[in-house]
Amino acid sequence: MTTKESRPLLLVEDNEVNREMLQRRLQRAGYSLDCAADGQEALDKMRELLPALVLLDINLPVKDGWTVAKEASSDATIQDIPIIALTAHAMASDREQALAAGCQDYATKPIDFPELLIKIERLLNS
Amino acid sequence: MKLSRTSLSLRARLYLFSVAILTLFVVNVATHLWGSFARSESLVAYRDAAVAAQLINDLQQGLEEARQQTLVLATLRETTDEPLGDAERQTATAQLETLRQRLGKLGALGGESTEDYYRRLFDSASQLLDEWQSFYDDYNRLERQSAVESPIQYNDTWQKLNELDQRQEALAIQRSKTIDGTITLTDQITVIGFITTIAVTMLLVILLIRSTNSSLLRLKTGVQRFGSGDLSYRIDENRDAGEIQDLARTFNDMSGKLTTAIEEVNNAKADADAANAAKSMFLANVSHELRTPLNAIIGYSEMLQDELGDPGEVNREQVQHDLGTIIISGRQLLGLINEILDLSKIETGKMQVNLESFQPAALILQVCDALSPLLSQHKNSLKLELTGAEGHTMLSDPGKLQQIVTNLFSNACKFTDSGTISVAAKISEDQLTLTVADDGIGMTPEQQGRVFDTFVQAEATTGTKYGGTGLGLSIVKDFCSMLGGEISLTSTPDAGSCFTVTLPTTGPALDPEAA
Repeated sequence: MTTKESRPLLLVEDNEVNREMLQRRLQRAGYSLDCAADGQEALDKMRELLPALVLLDINLPVKDGWTVAKEASSDATIQDIPIIALTAHAMASDREQALAAGCQDYATKPIDFPELLIKIERLLNS
Repeated sequence: MKLSRTSLSLRARLYLFSVAILTLFVVNVATHLWGSFARSESLVAYRDAAVAAQLINDLQQGLEEARQQTLVLATLRETTDEPLGDAERQTATAQLETLRQRLGKLGALGGESTEDYYRRLFDSASQLLDEWQSFYDDYNRLERQSAVESPIQYNDTWQKLNELDQRQEALAIQRSKTIDGTITLTDQITVIGFITTIAVTMLLVILLIRSTNSSLLRLKTGVQRFGSGDLSYRIDENRDAGEIQDLARTFNDMSGKLTTAIEEVNNAKADADAANAAKSMFLANVSHELRTPLNAIIGYSEMLQDELGDPGEVNREQVQHDLGTIIISGRQLLGLINEILDLSKIETGKMQVNLESFQPAALILQVCDALSPLLSQHKNSLKLELTGAEGHTMLSDPGKLQQIVTNLFSNACKFTDSGTISVAAKISEDQLTLTVADDGIGMTPEQQGRVFDTFVQAEATTGTKYGGTGLGLSIVKDFCSMLGGEISLTSTPDAGSCFTVTLPTTGPALDPEAA
C-alpha cells in the first residue's frame, strides 16, 4: 500500500459496518485514513489533523452532516478542506442541500466505489 | 323613495299599484258623471224656464184678447140692445176655460220658491175670470150692469202675472248661475283629475320599477358575489318581504350549503394531501432504509471480489466475517421488504389470520435467539422471564405473534445502548401477557401518542438517527387488534420504554370487525 497524499483523508460514518468497509477499500486504494463516528468528533479531527479531504455521512449522531459542513465552512482554519457528502437519501433536494451546505460533491449510497475514487482524485488535484 | 324602504312583497306592490290606479280612474269617472248630470240639470232648468215664459206670454195675450172682447161687448150693449147669442157666449166661455187651463199649467210648472207668487196670481186671475164669466152670463140681463170696464182687477192680475214672470226669471238666472258654476267646477276637477291621474300613475310606475329593480339588483349583486366565490356574503333579507325575501333567503341558504360543501371538500383534500405527504415521506424513508443494507452488501461483495483477486494468502477468517456482514444486511433487507408487504396487506384488507395451537414460550425464545446479533450490535444484554407461560398452549396466529415479538424486540435494541432488554410472558385467565421493556432513550408523552400511527416515528429525525420506516409499531398494533388483543405503552424519556401486549389464548372473538 502506497500513500498518495502526505495528509490523510477523514472518513465520517456512524454505521460500523459501512465505516469498516469504506475504510478497508480506501486503504486498499492507497489512501491513509482517519475515521470519526459522529459530527462533533468529525469537526474536532478536522481541526486537529487538517485532512486533505473529508468523506462525510449525513445521518450522524450528535451533529448531523449538514451542521458539520456549515460549521466547517465558517471556520477559517478548515474551510478550504473539500467535503464529499455521503447519504442514503437519493432525492434531488438532498443533492442541492449538500452543495448549499458547503459540500463540494455528493455521493449516494450504495456507493459506486470507482466513481467515488474519481471524485476524490478530482478534488485532491484541483 | 319610501316604497323601496318599506318591506312590501312584489305581489303586494303590484296590487297596491293597481288599486291606486283604479281608485284614481273611479274618481275621474265620478267627477265626469257629476259634470254630465249638472249639464242635463242645466238643460232641464232652461227648458222649464222657457216653457214657463211661453205660458206667461200666452196667458198675457189671452188676457189681453179677453179684455178687448169684454170691452167691445160692453160698448156694444150700451149702444144696442142686441142680446148675446148662445154660440158667442159658448165661445167666450171656452176662451175663458182655455185661460184657466193655461193658469193651471203654469201652476204645475212652478216650484216651492214661486208658490206664493203663483197663489196670488191664481187668486187674482180667478177673480178676474169669474168676473168675466159672470159678465157673459149676465149679459142679457140688463139690470145687472157690472163694472166690466173697471181695469182694477185686470191690472191687478196683470201685475201679479208680471211679478211671477220676474220671479221665475230671477230664479232661472240664479239656478243657471249655480249650474254653470257646477259645470265649470266639474270640468276643472275632471281636467285636474286626469292630469293628476297621469302624473300619479307615472310616479307609481317609476316607484314600482325602482323598488322592484333595487330588490332585483340586490339579488343580482348577491348572486354575482356568490358566483365570484365570495360565499361569506349575505343578501340583506330584511330589505324585502314576500317572494323576493324568500328568494334572497333561498340564495343565502344555498350559499351557506355551498360553503359547507366546499369546506368539506377542502378538508377532504387536506386529509388526502396529508396522507399523500406521509406516503411520500414513507417512500423516502423506505428508499433510505433499502440503501443502507444494500450499501453494505454491494460494498462488501465488491471488496471481497477485489481482495480475492490479490496475490497472496487469503485471510479465511476475515472473508467469513465479511460474508456474515453481507448475510445480516441481506436479512435486514428482507425484513424490511416483509414489513412493507405486511403493511400493504393490512391496508388493502388482505391480511389473513391463521389460527393454530402453539406454545408461546417456545416461540418467544426462538425469536430472541434469532435476534441475538441485534442485541450484541448495541452491546445490550437480555433478561428472559417466560416461566409464567412455559408448558401452556394457546390458539392464535403464531406468525403474527412472532412478528409482534420481533418488532418490539428489535425496537428495544435499536433505541438502547449498553442496556438491558427484558422480555417476559405469562398466561393466566385465558390471556397471554407479553412485556418487552428496555432502559434506552424512552419517549415523551407526546411522542407516545403518535408512535403507533402508520408511517410515523417518535420524531421526524428518528429515521435519520436510528433508521426504520415507522412501520414496525403500526404493524404490531394492527396485528394485536386482529388477534383480539391490545397493546399499551409506558415510557419515560432517557429511562426507557415498556410495551405490554395482551392476547386472548382462545383466539380472537368471532367478530368480523376484529379481523
